[in-house]
Amino acid sequence: MKKISLIIIASTLVLLSACASKSYVKFVDNSIKNKIEIKDVKKRVLENGFTQIQVDGINKTDKYTLFKYRVVWEDKDGFEVKSISSKWSDSSAYKNANFRINVISPSKQAVNYQLYINKD
Amino acid sequence: MKKLNILLSTSAISLLLLSGCATKVQLIDPNHDTGEQVMSLDYRDFNKAASTAVQSMLKSPALDKKDGKRFVLVISNVENDTMQHIDTDQLIKRIRIELLNSGKVFVTTAVGSKGNVDEMNDETRELVNNKNFKQSSIAKQGTLIAPDMSLSGKILQKNIGMSDDKQQVEYYFMLTLTDIKTGFAVWEGETFIGKRGSAKSVAW
Repeated sequence: MKKISLIIIASTLVLLSACASKSYVKFVDNSIKNKIEIKDVKKRVLENGFTQIQVDGINKTDKYTLFKYRVVWEDKDGFEVKSISSKWSDSSAYKNANFRINVISPSKQAVNYQLYINKD
Repeated sequence: MKKLNILLSTSAISLLLLSGCATKVQLIDPNHDTGEQVMSLDYRDFNKAASTAVQSMLKSPALDKKDGKRFVLVISNVENDTMQHIDTDQLIKRIRIELLNSGKVFVTTAVGSKGNVDEMNDETRELVNNKNFKQSSIAKQGTLIAPDMSLSGKILQKNIGMSDDKQQVEYYFMLTLTDIKTGFAVWEGETFIGKRGSAKSVAW
């Protein structure tokens, strides 16, 4: 019984820590989720202290696909760092081909991000 | 009297009909603007051009000062070479805000192109010997900092007539960051925005 309780507590902690992740990529429309897929998200801090993210994806369709994305940046305390990249930007992916989104943080204080992908 | 009543009724009905036909005014939500594109430049185009330029500048090492401090940036001439009456500040202001907030630059208003200079930098210094002002509170001579970098550029428009009463309008947002000490262009950026539509659409 004690063992089961420990397992439940451990599982809950793992789940909670996953939910606490402050950076993520999210599709805001299912129609675009069916067309493009995110394969990898890389994040690094540059020598100048700015954070860079690179999202690698693939267009799963036989059509040239347009989509939009925007990035909301937050400081270490979870407060939004206003920037022009929080407005929707246009992007595209050739049919059955990889695409890449590369964004740099608006300041050194912006360390976490939420990248949203939407249909065109 | 009967004629007057008919006239008044007709006028009232006409007014009602006209008000019903009037296009309603809608506020633009810049965060979710699904409005149709226009042939001329609108705020979405300036946002796109500014965002592209800022991202490119932040990725470039041109604005990374060796001692970790900020460069002093002056806004030079940004030429409007389009057929539209636009204020180039629509582009430059957004870039200035982003660069200032990035912590990489200070933007000087002591010198620069018309519209980017704050005359108070000079005028407040002329208050020396004005007895109404506490002299120790007046900015002294020799305290203004000269710029290290200059941002200049041009917005270019090219109209191309197409068949079937269509036209293509090309816009080029060209910007250059110059190291004033050496005169070298340390960063350059170009954003292209192209639009196709009816030749009847006005692009100026």
